[in-house]
Amino acid sequence: MRPLFGASLKMLLRDKQALFWALIFPILFLGVFRLFSFDSFGTTDLLVSIEDAQDPAQATLLDALGSVDFIELEVADAPLDLPGAEALIEDDDADAVLVVSPGMTPDQAVQATLVHDINDPIGASTTEATVSSVVTGVNLELLGGNPPIEFATARVGDEDETTFFEFLGPGIIGMGLMNFATISLAGSLSRYREEGVLRRIRATPLEPWKFFASVVLAHLALAAIQVLILSVVAELLGANVLRGGPMFLILAVLGTVIFLNLGVIVAGTVHGRGAVEGAANAITLPMMFLSGTFFPVSQLPEPVQVAVQILPLTHLLTAMRALVEGESIATQWVHLLVLAAWIAGTFVVARLTFRFDNR
Amino acid sequence: MIDARGLAKQYGDLTALGGVSFAVQPGEIFGILGPNGAGKTTLVEILEGLTKPSAGDATVLGYDLRTQTVEVKRRVGVQLQASSYHQYLTLREILDLFGSFYPRSAGAGELLARVHLEDRADARISHLSGGMQQRFSIVAALVNEPDLVFFDEPTAGLDPDARQDLWQIVREVREAGATVVLTTHYMEEAETLCDRVMLMNAGQIAALDTPPGLVRSMNAPYRIRMTTRDPLDLAAARAIPGTSEVEPAAEGGLHVTQLRAEDAPRTVAALTRLAEGVSTEVVDLVVLPATLEDVFLSVTGRGLSG
Repeated sequence: MRPLFGASLKMLLRDKQALFWALIFPILFLGVFRLFSFDSFGTTDLLVSIEDAQDPAQATLLDALGSVDFIELEVADAPLDLPGAEALIEDDDADAVLVVSPGMTPDQAVQATLVHDINDPIGASTTEATVSSVVTGVNLELLGGNPPIEFATARVGDEDETTFFEFLGPGIIGMGLMNFATISLAGSLSRYREEGVLRRIRATPLEPWKFFASVVLAHLALAAIQVLILSVVAELLGANVLRGGPMFLILAVLGTVIFLNLGVIVAGTVHGRGAVEGAANAITLPMMFLSGTFFPVSQLPEPVQVAVQILPLTHLLTAMRALVEGESIATQWVHLLVLAAWIAGTFVVARLTFRFDNR
Repeated sequence: MIDARGLAKQYGDLTALGGVSFAVQPGEIFGILGPNGAGKTTLVEILEGLTKPSAGDATVLGYDLRTQTVEVKRRVGVQLQASSYHQYLTLREILDLFGSFYPRSAGAGELLARVHLEDRADARISHLSGGMQQRFSIVAALVNEPDLVFFDEPTAGLDPDARQDLWQIVREVREAGATVVLTTHYMEEAETLCDRVMLMNAGQIAALDTPPGLVRSMNAPYRIRMTTRDPLDLAAARAIPGTSEVEPAAEGGLHVTQLRAEDAPRTVAALTRLAEGVSTEVVDLVVLPATLEDVFLSVTGRGLSG
């Protein structure tokens, strides 16, 4: 059994198509979504040019600007004039530059001019309004009077909200597992049948189920490797998936069993290699979009939301995300039950549909 | 080696094999010849233990095919087309893998040397030429050092040189002590390589004998072609005893009379007298012995390719 498993794994690792679905495809998705960096939309790189950091007015202004969440503050090495600031913006060194220059005479007010090239109207007015209100606040503070109106905001909800990319991480790992397991196993099995490998194996004293088991186990082993690699990549890109711990890996590999069964069913019911790949894609592609890989299921229309609760990937992803958010696996028992039912159901169907001899 | 008694296979309404009985002797190269659909593949698959017969019994190497299938599989070698091996493994890896399925197996290096592929041990099947692929598929059938080997059209699609090579390899397999059963499309292969040939047609054994025995058993074993300046009297030619398929033809202003004859010397004499009778000159005379192809045509009424 061991040489057989070794050979099956070796074959899988040399199969470029399998590796594409297992690793390249999901890593591409992770990379592309990271580039979009939805969460950093709306931050402004603000360069501040000041003449004298010791000056209380200028120092207070710097402090106040630094406490604004969406402003990435940087202080210029040397004082800038307005044309210098414009040149910096032209070169894309900053989104906006605040040029602060003291008055000509001590009793003249400090001049603060905001130069920016932010095109998006909301971004532009937010930045202008924020900087202007910070300046007003600093003015009030420096005057030492109590402001007639104090303004406060209160935010409702979890401070530690998951970012979009953190949501996406487990989704893309689950999608990768599904694509690889279904498409690659269906493809391998139908190739083995068409090329006569199955027939050749049957001509040896080896019991056919052992060959079959070695192919499936090799896929499971690669799935585990896949989860590890994708988790590390996602973690490096900032998705925090490693918080899921070893349970995350076990859950992912368990879910893969369903998709492997689906692959066997496809190979057993559809004949001809092109048709098999088409059918495998026809199963994985809609599931990829409907099961909340890229967007929460709650954003789907109400009736569709109910319908997608049937899909195994929906439950796998929900449970995987819960683990990543620090919940224990026990809280996910409903999803685990659904997944177990899927494993059992697809196993029975796979057993009935796939025949070793195609005559 | 093989003792088949009334083996039959039915697929629904289709009778692939209609009940065949024959025996294969130790140390012989036994050819199974027939057109596509004759039942060759079904018969061989039954003997290899791949397919269960619908009726009939057989012993292979003394084992009962129905109850001792695993023993049969351990002791026989099976060659299928080269593509039947994993495309992502090297030749050595495939031989090691298949060797691991048997209680006793030959080393990959030694096997590859037998078919002059030792320097390709780390190549994959797809990087081999057609002839190399066939040689590999043959040696892969020998991985368990079998007493009986089945070769499935081992030279299909090869050029004459590569075919000669493979014939030599098959002979060496027999000399090493194995009995060989091979299916083929090629008459020439059956005639030069096989000790005995079984002709199959429509799921039945049409004839079974040594190649010369099969040819001798025919009614019209010779083909005769006589070329003359003037046409011969066809009616008189047809009246020669033991002739058939008498056909005239014209060729570059000359006249050709083709026929089949049971008794070549007498027929040639009779044709010569006919030519003398119309005082014409005999330009050319060709007498060919019958081939297995002729045997096949006479037994089945159609060619091998049909």
